[in-house]
Formats: sequence, C-alpha cells, structure tokens
Amino acid sequence: MAPRGRILATRFGLNPNSSSLGVDVTFLLLGAAALSIFTPVVGALLRLRRGSSAHVVDPPSPAPTE
Amino acid sequence: MRAERFGAIAELVRPRALVFVDRAFARRLGAASSAWASDPAGDGDVGGRPLSAPIEAHLQLTNRCDVGCQGCYTGATAHGAPGEWGAEEWKRALDHLAERGVFHLALGGGESAILPWLGEVAAHARARGMTPNLTTSGLAGLDDLLPIAHLFGQINVSMDGIGPAYAAVRGSDRFAEADRALRLLRARKREVGINVVVTRLNFADLDEIIRYARRRRLNEVELLRFKPAGRGAAAFAGLTCSDAQHRAFWPTVSRAARRHRIRIRVDCSYTPMLVHHRLDRRLLERLAVYGCIAGDFLVGARANGALSACSFAPPAPGRPRLDDLAAYWEKDDAFGPFRAWRDADEPCRSCEYHSLCRGGCKAVALHLEGDARRPDPECPRVVDFRRGRAGRIRLPIAV
Repeated sequence: MAPRGRILATRFGLNPNSSSLGVDVTFLLLGAAALSIFTPVVGALLRLRRGSSAHVVDPPSPAPTE
Repeated sequence: MRAERFGAIAELVRPRALVFVDRAFARRLGAASSAWASDPAGDGDVGGRPLSAPIEAHLQLTNRCDVGCQGCYTGATAHGAPGEWGAEEWKRALDHLAERGVFHLALGGGESAILPWLGEVAAHARARGMTPNLTTSGLAGLDDLLPIAHLFGQINVSMDGIGPAYAAVRGSDRFAEADRALRLLRARKREVGINVVVTRLNFADLDEIIRYARRRRLNEVELLRFKPAGRGAAAFAGLTCSDAQHRAFWPTVSRAARRHRIRIRVDCSYTPMLVHHRLDRRLLERLAVYGCIAGDFLVGARANGALSACSFAPPAPGRPRLDDLAAYWEKDDAFGPFRAWRDADEPCRSCEYHSLCRGGCKAVALHLEGDARRPDPECPRVVDFRRGRAGRIRLPIAV
C-alpha cells in the first residue's frame, strides 16, 4: 500500500502587505494541540479537492546554495 | 498546486491556507516532480533549499502618493518613479509569475488605488489563478477602489494609530479619512484589516489599536516592524522600537489577541522577537514561521519592474526585471546575501532557531551594520551576545 504522506506545514491567511510576509499567530496562541486537531481537517479538505483536478505546476528546482 | 523538492505546496481556499506536504502526500493529490528521483534526501525537507519559485510576489505598482509619510519605506512622491510600468507590462509579468506557480500577490505602492488600471491588473491575476491582495492608505482613490474591492482576497488599510496618534507616527493628521475608508471597504467585504507599523511612539497604543480593529469588525491586524528604507532610513533612529519594546512585543501582542479575539499577523522581520521567548520550535515549523525569506518564499518588484529580494532590499545584482525571474532564480548567486543566511556569524550560527529565523531582518542589518549578512542587530539574542562580549573585552582593561 502506498504511504499516506504527511502535512509538513500550513500557512494560514492571505498577506496584503507588500513589504513583508505576515504570519498568522493565532495558532501560536492556541498551541500545538489545537494545530494537531486542525491538521487532519486540512488533509481531508485537500484530498476532497483532489477530485477537482487541481492544476499542477512543476517548475525546475533551483541549484543548491550550500 | 506546485511540485517542490520536498513534495508540494497545495492551496486551500476555505480555510485560506498554503499547505506544504511531503512527496507521498503530493502523489496522492496528483502532483509529482521529475526532480524527485535524483534527490531522495529532499523528501520533506522544507527550507533545506530555496523553493522552486516564490509563493508570493510583492509588487509596487506605482511610487506615486502625495501623503508624504515621514517613514515611507519607498520614499513615495506625488510624481512617482521614473519608468513606471503600465498595465500591459504588469499583466505580462503576471503571466510569467503564474507560469512559475506563484500563489499570492501583495499589491502596494505608493498608492496603487489611484491607478485607473488597478482593477484590470487584479482581474488578470485572478484569471491566471493568483490571488491579488492590496494595501492602501485609504486616503486617495477610494471611490475607484470600492467597486473593484471584490477582486482582492484581502485589503488592508495602513493605520498606525488612533486619533491624534495617527499623526504622530505618519506625520499628517488624516485618521478620519483612513477610518472612513475602512468603514466603507468593510461594508463591501469581510476580508478587510489594518496594517500597523509598530514604532516606539505607538507601541504603548497597540492594545487600543487592536481594540479599534475589533470594534470595526475587521478580520485581521497585521503588525509590521519599522524598516530603514526610503524616508524610513532617515527616520529610523527616532522611530524604531527600543530593545525593551522588542522584548515586550510577543507578550503584548499575545495578550491583546486573547483579549480582543481577533486574528493577528506579524511580519517576517519580527521572528527574532518571537523566538526570543523560546516558542515551541516544532509548532513554528508546522506554521511555516520564518524570518528572512526574501529571495526565497517571496520577491519584490519596484514600480519600474526591477526585481528585488523583498520590498526593502536594493535591486538584485545584475538588475534583473520581474519578467526575468525564471532565469535569475536559478543562478547560484541569486539575491546575494539574502540566500546566504546559512553562512552566519555568532550568535546566529549556534542559535537553535536559526534555520527558522535565518538571521532576522537583512534590511535592518544592512542599514545599521552596512552588511546584510550580519545578524539582525535588533534581535534580543544578538543584543545580549554583544553586551556579553563587550563585557568580556572590557574586563581586563578595567582591571
């Protein structure tokens, strides 16, 4: 059976500010437990959306910097 | 969805989120990359190398604005910048960004709301699958902005203080106009918030500002560190927060967020002030909380299309334009010091948060130290390290 895979990180919200990349700190306040509850929901939503034939972009990977 | 070395980045619309997944999850979603076979160690390694393209582009559509704020980071004027792009150039550049898989745009200025073609550009971004977001002062172009507000994912109005405090920070007393703009925009859509540039003058008012946002039924407050760019370079020494305020930032913000129950976002340059409080590293990773991600997660472009690592960084070496992004992105030395964060001095090198914080804000380091590679000199850990080192040097002399 193919491995299920993992959600590595989730960035919530939209950033309207053209001078920085804002981070929603709500989950920093709620803590890891709240995120652990929310992450499977995000996973389920992603898998549901799979049926809508999401457009996939595969740009070339950049050269290593190290 | 976009394939990445580590797996893929998938976009959710409800809730609004970019989700980073490993290769196995990406395959289940229908994504795959030809590069995976030759790089087995890259599976799940977010941040190990730059992304394949930015997730977000910050576009200064114009540098025209006649408000004349004392700390304006672009040094905007009523006449704008030489060689500013028009709608056709921006639309071509958006096509290029869409081909690279960029998800979000942050449109700003100057005052982009005065551009007669703002709606045309925003609609073009939507048609190419990207979400345009907007920052406005609310002081000009409002009548034209209201009918096209629906095109934007999120609109924030710059609001650095309430009542007379607004004038103290921005240099002109136009709070009532900005407040009116907020109320009218909020009547059109839910996704309206405020951007607050935090300075030593308004730090004590943060709770009041956040309460105001809640009262206006806004959906978020975005807190921005004062940056030494544009007119902000000359005003920096007088407006940047004190060391004590930087150390108090997270406790102040977290208290206000709990009290007023509103979403608060903090900008990337505040990461040193967050990790100073030893927040859960794993949680930060899972929320993709990073410090300087310029030239990696994000890029900036000036009104003439000049590409930069972020809005505060000088134009990238070689002066590429936004529509040169694909070729420039692949260069080994692309974005100079902004991608060289792994080669850090102490105390960053031994900091357990370094792979997240990436040395703090390079715009501040460039201004205060003359070298963007140096650790962010306003980071509390850096301040403590330098105080300690100075003490060790002075001691034998004193004896």
